[in-house]
Amino acid sequence: MTRALVVEDDAPMARFLRATLESNAFEVTTVTTARDAIASFTSTLPAIVLLDLGLPDGDGLEVTRRLREFSATPIIVLSARGRETDKVEALDLGADDYLTKPFGTNELLARMRVALRHAARAKGAEPEPLIESGPLAIDRAKRLVTVEGVEIHLTPIEYKILAMLAEHAGKVVTHRQLLAEIWGPGHLEQTHYLRVHMAQLRRKIEPEAARPRFVTTEPGVGYRLRVD
Amino acid sequence: MNAERILRAPARYFLAAVAVGLVTAAVFPFASVLGPEAIGMLYLLAIMVVAFRLFRGPAFFAAALSVAAFDFFFVPPAFTFAVKDPRHLLTFVVMFAVGLAISSLMVKVLRQGEAARLAELERARVALDAEAARLQARTEELRSALLSTVSHDLRTPLATITGAATRLRDAPEGSLSPTESGPLVESICTEAERLERLLVDLLAMTRLESGGLQVRREWVPVEEIVGSALSRLEVALADRPVAVQVPDEASLVAVDPVLFSQVLVNLIENALKYTPHGSPLEVRATVGARVFEMEISDRGPGIAAGAEGRIFEKFVRGDHPGVGGVGLGLAICRGMVEAHGGTITASNREGGGATFRIRIPQDVAPLGLPPELPPASGPRAAA
Repeated sequence: MTRALVVEDDAPMARFLRATLESNAFEVTTVTTARDAIASFTSTLPAIVLLDLGLPDGDGLEVTRRLREFSATPIIVLSARGRETDKVEALDLGADDYLTKPFGTNELLARMRVALRHAARAKGAEPEPLIESGPLAIDRAKRLVTVEGVEIHLTPIEYKILAMLAEHAGKVVTHRQLLAEIWGPGHLEQTHYLRVHMAQLRRKIEPEAARPRFVTTEPGVGYRLRVD
Repeated sequence: MNAERILRAPARYFLAAVAVGLVTAAVFPFASVLGPEAIGMLYLLAIMVVAFRLFRGPAFFAAALSVAAFDFFFVPPAFTFAVKDPRHLLTFVVMFAVGLAISSLMVKVLRQGEAARLAELERARVALDAEAARLQARTEELRSALLSTVSHDLRTPLATITGAATRLRDAPEGSLSPTESGPLVESICTEAERLERLLVDLLAMTRLESGGLQVRREWVPVEEIVGSALSRLEVALADRPVAVQVPDEASLVAVDPVLFSQVLVNLIENALKYTPHGSPLEVRATVGARVFEMEISDRGPGIAAGAEGRIFEKFVRGDHPGVGGVGLGLAICRGMVEAHGGTITASNREGGGATFRIRIPQDVAPLGLPPELPPASGPRAAA
C-alpha cells in the first residue's frame, strides 16, 4: 500500500478523493487545515501529498514551502480555475504538478503515477537515459534526439530545453524553472527567450508545430512533455 | 429665482419712489425746453422700468407718484397740486392708465417667459426620466435574462445528474446491466462538464464586467498561442481538418497568453458548435508592425443577416435547434479582445461559412522587453 496524505477542507471532495485512492490501493489520511497537514505529514510519512491550494487557515502555498524545507515527497496541488499565479507559485516552490478542479479520476491517477515514478527514480539516483513521447525519443546518455528513428539536430539551447522537459517527463515545468536552469537566475522574466527557442524546437520535432503533440503549452504556467 | 423676488415689499416700494425721484430730478433743469408731453413720456419710461424689475404693486405706486410729481413740479402753477388748465387733468388720467397698462403687460410677459422656461425644464426632466426608466427596464431585462438563463441552465444538468446518480444508487445490487448503467454514468459526466463550462463563463463574464480582469501582456509567438488552443481542444477537433496559417516562429505578438488562448478556444468551440461534424476550420494570423490580425473561419451555415453584431452580446445564441450553451462565449471573446484594446468582428464568407476576425493594435504595448531574438547560446549553454 502506498500512503497518501490528502489536505482538503471540503468534506465531499475529501470523501471523493479518499474513495478513489483507496480503491486504487492507496492508504489515505485526510486533514482539513494547513497546520494539521505538517503534523500529519511528519507522523505518517506519506509517499505523496494531494494539497488543496484554497485552504481556509492560510495557505496551501505555505504548506508547500514548509514541506520542501525537509522533504522531497511529491506534492500535487489542487486548485480552482483561473488561479494561474497560485499554481505557478506552488510549482516554483517545489510542488510537482497541479490539477485544476474539477478533474477526472484518470487524470488524477495519471498525475500521481508520474509523480511517484519520478520520486522513485530520484531515490535510486539512477536517471532514466531514454525518454519517449510517441515517436519522439530523447537519449540523454548519447545526447541524441530522434523522431521515428530519424536524428534531429538541435542547438545547445533547444537540446537543454528538451532534456529538462524529458527529465520531468509527464510533469509540467514552469517558465521560471526552465529560464533558471538554461539562462541562469538573472533571466527569470525573459520568457520570450524561452518561447522563441521553444517555437524553433517545435518546428524541428513536431509534425505540425502549431498543433503540438509532444510538448504542450500550459498557458501562463509552462510546458509539459507528454508521455501518455 | 430673480434677485428682485428676494427683495422684501417695502424695499421694492422704496426703489419705485427712488426711480420717480430720479426722473424728476433729472428732468427738472430742462423742464422749459422739454415741455409737459415729453416729461410725461419720461415718467412712463420710469414706470415701465419699475414694472419690469419690481412688479405690479410698486409699478402702480410709481404711476401714482409720477402723476403727483408731474403735477407738483411741471404743471403750472408749479410747486402746487393746483391745476390751471383742465386739459392737464386728462393728461394725468392717461398717464396713470398707460402706467397701469404697461405694468400689467410687463408682468404678463414676464410670467409667460417664466412659464416657458418651466415648461422647458419639465420637458427635459420628463426626457431624463424616460431615459432612466428605459435603462432601468434594460437592466431588469438583463437581470431576468441572467436569472432565467442561470436557473434554467444550472437546473437542467443538475436534474440529469440527480436522476442518473439516484438511479445508480438505488438500484438493487447487480440489477443494472452495463448497457443501462453506461449511459447513466456518461450523462452524469457530460452534464457535469456542462455545469463547469457555465460556471467558468459566468465567472469570466462577471470579472470582465466588474473590471476585475487584468491583462498581462507578454511577447509570445503566434504559433504558441494557436498551438495551446488547438491542443486544449484536441479531442473535440479529432474529426476536423484544421488549416493553420501563421507567420514564422519568430513572429512575436504582445498579448496576454492566457486570455488570448481562451479567446481562440471560445471561437473554435463556437465554430464546432454551429458547423457540421467533419467540416473544415481555418486559423490564419498575420503580424504587422502596428496590428496583429487573426481569423477563424468555418464552412458552416454562416451568420443570419443582420446578426453580425448582435452575436457578441450576452445571452444571444444562434437559433439552431439542438445547440446548447448560454450565449456567453462570444461576449467573453469580445470583452477579452477589447481589454487588449482590439476589435472583433464577424462576417459571412464567400462560398459559405463565417469568419471571425480579431485585430489587436501592437503599437500600444507598453512592454519593457524588446522582442529581439535571444542570443544563439546562453551563458550556460556552451555544451
